[in-house]
Amino acid sequence: MKKLLALILALALIMSLSAVAFAEEEVDVSGLKVGVFWYAFSDPFLSTVRASLNEQLDEAGIAFDDFDGNNTQATQLEQIQTAVTNGYNVLVVNLVTSGSADAAEQIIQAAGDLPIIFFNRAVEGDGEEHTVLDEHENIAFVGTDAPEAGHMQGKMIGDFLIENYDDVDLNGDGEISYAMFMGDAGNVEAIYRTQYGVEDANAVLTENDKPELVYFNESNTDKYQLDPNGAWSSAAAFDFMSTNLAEYSESNGNMIELVIANNDDMALGSISALQNAGYNLGDGESTKIPVFGVDATQVAQDAIAADQMTGTVKQDNVGMATAITGVLKGVAAESTLADCVSAVADSDDMFSVAEGFTNKLFVAYAPFTGE
Amino acid sequence: MNGYLKRKAEEYRSLDSIDRRRYWVDGLLNNALYILMALFIIFTAVVNKNFLSASSIANVLTLAAASLPMALGIGGCIVLTGTDLSGGRVFGLTAAMAAAFLQNRAATKLIFEHLPNTSGPWIFAVMLLVMLVGAVIGLVNGFFVAKFSLHPFIVTLATQLITYGVILMFFQINGNGGGPISNVAQQFKDVVSGPAIKIASKNVSIPWYVVYAFVLVGVMWFVWNKTTFGKNMFAVGSNAEAARVSGVNVFKTTVLVHTLAGALYGFAGYVEAARLGSITAATGLNNECDAIAACVIGGVSFVGGTGNIGGIVVGVFVLRIIFVALNMLGINPNLQFIIKGSIILAACSLDMRKYLVRK
Repeated sequence: MKKLLALILALALIMSLSAVAFAEEEVDVSGLKVGVFWYAFSDPFLSTVRASLNEQLDEAGIAFDDFDGNNTQATQLEQIQTAVTNGYNVLVVNLVTSGSADAAEQIIQAAGDLPIIFFNRAVEGDGEEHTVLDEHENIAFVGTDAPEAGHMQGKMIGDFLIENYDDVDLNGDGEISYAMFMGDAGNVEAIYRTQYGVEDANAVLTENDKPELVYFNESNTDKYQLDPNGAWSSAAAFDFMSTNLAEYSESNGNMIELVIANNDDMALGSISALQNAGYNLGDGESTKIPVFGVDATQVAQDAIAADQMTGTVKQDNVGMATAITGVLKGVAAESTLADCVSAVADSDDMFSVAEGFTNKLFVAYAPFTGE
Repeated sequence: MNGYLKRKAEEYRSLDSIDRRRYWVDGLLNNALYILMALFIIFTAVVNKNFLSASSIANVLTLAAASLPMALGIGGCIVLTGTDLSGGRVFGLTAAMAAAFLQNRAATKLIFEHLPNTSGPWIFAVMLLVMLVGAVIGLVNGFFVAKFSLHPFIVTLATQLITYGVILMFFQINGNGGGPISNVAQQFKDVVSGPAIKIASKNVSIPWYVVYAFVLVGVMWFVWNKTTFGKNMFAVGSNAEAARVSGVNVFKTTVLVHTLAGALYGFAGYVEAARLGSITAATGLNNECDAIAACVIGGVSFVGGTGNIGGIVVGVFVLRIIFVALNMLGINPNLQFIIKGSIILAACSLDMRKYLVRK
């Protein structure tokens, strides 16, 4: 009995000590119970954000739980409703329906007066700017400037082509034919990337008196091939590219000379198809078709290092996790979300407050070509 | 052969005008799918002559071979009047496992750090291993279906979810943090997705897994048609009670059909790991739907007890030809869903019509 008492006392002592340890940090985060709602656990890029965020939140001593929306907005909304009744007091939400103001409004209503940090997937669609973020004081957005990745990818492609125009133009007809793989028809990031990936490359080309890019298949007026499941998957890009390569080849004089993909997975899927046809083997002998993606996943970085892929746009998973953790600490210190956002923006060059907003924080993209 | 034709001609002559008309209408309707496909292929080939080029045919063959193992597996479940919703996730899990076990040992980021170097026996062992994993999940499906008389829809819905949970955990191993599993060893690719036949001048390259798919079709044909197990499967599918009364072990048959299906998903996943070289947690999503569609298009009926391997092969090819043709015609991808759906509906209605007429 005495031993038990001693044990309880010892435990109590340890616990009081750790409480002191918490108090010694800049802010007391012990009151936070954070629910983090992911659009899908299966997304490779967001899984890396999840790993970074979990690590940082653990380090900061913030209590949190992850939820998997399984790519269904209704599931996510139900999870949030349940979380609100279960005592979570801050919500960190990775919206399923990217760019849907209505979906965001529903979540805000379900949350009542709890602070919400939306991240990664846009809450305001094209032409709906200020309709959500300006209307509520208790919300913030941490993410990337949706069109930025597309702009950056397009510019990178344009610059690359100017440097290597004649090498890329395999059939020497003076024009570059390209293939474009789109991840999801309803996602604003995918829409911008599909649009600007080509438009900005064309802008660079026109400036340098080169003709604009030509989509490889004249009869496809969409000028992209879309993952039918909206899953941005390498399998979809692989099947499309294999089919394309059966029809378009160097021996037919109409080979696809450039591949642009909305994300790295699709870029890698098309590289697998190219490799089956004897391209992009990274052996120094086979012809390399330039392939561009977005995200700079580890696998893509390896592929670039192995001379199989040409470029990608780095979306910073650690940076995004740092920004979210920073805002959460601000919430714990009871500052307004706008103050949290500006404090995080001041802390590092890679963060900035979006123009015309007070509660929208951008994490910068960076071009990545392995140099 | 000549005698057969003569007899057919005799029979036809003996029919009166109404029966003759019915003969033609039935003939057309019973083969409507093949006739429509032939017209569709001719149309596509006229619009785009590349469609029937050697490289394009090789491509259709290659794409079909990748989806065949799964359809062959799920076909057995449908013969038992069941289905299997867990197929896609089992496929995803086994693909991830195969990729993780056969990573290039020199790569910087490995899922498992202490594995044998990639060698022939190890590549073969991994194939057996992932087929075993698939078979175990199939065994669980079959056990619950047979033991508790649960509808396979429910059992496999449950195992689909469980398997997905396992997949998500698998992608977290060794600090992978949910990223894709890639850097698959070249030796593994060489024996699975490397070219078996290559004609450089014609831009034709047929990977080994096409050969394996052909072998698998042969094996499955034998299993379905020439073994007691195959005959029992059809007996249980047509009427489980009658089969039981005539001495068929319904429990064993059901469990075995699901186990075999699971092993085939495992094989499909194994091929996928080499084919794509980069597997994510979403790999395999909805794959079972395509496999089920291929089976029903090919005449494996949900009525149970009917279907054959040839039909499944046709079904797989029909879906892949549609995919390739719509791409070559440059048709909006949204239409692909409408066309696919319409074909499934038409094929199944025509299929059922045969039974309705018989009654």
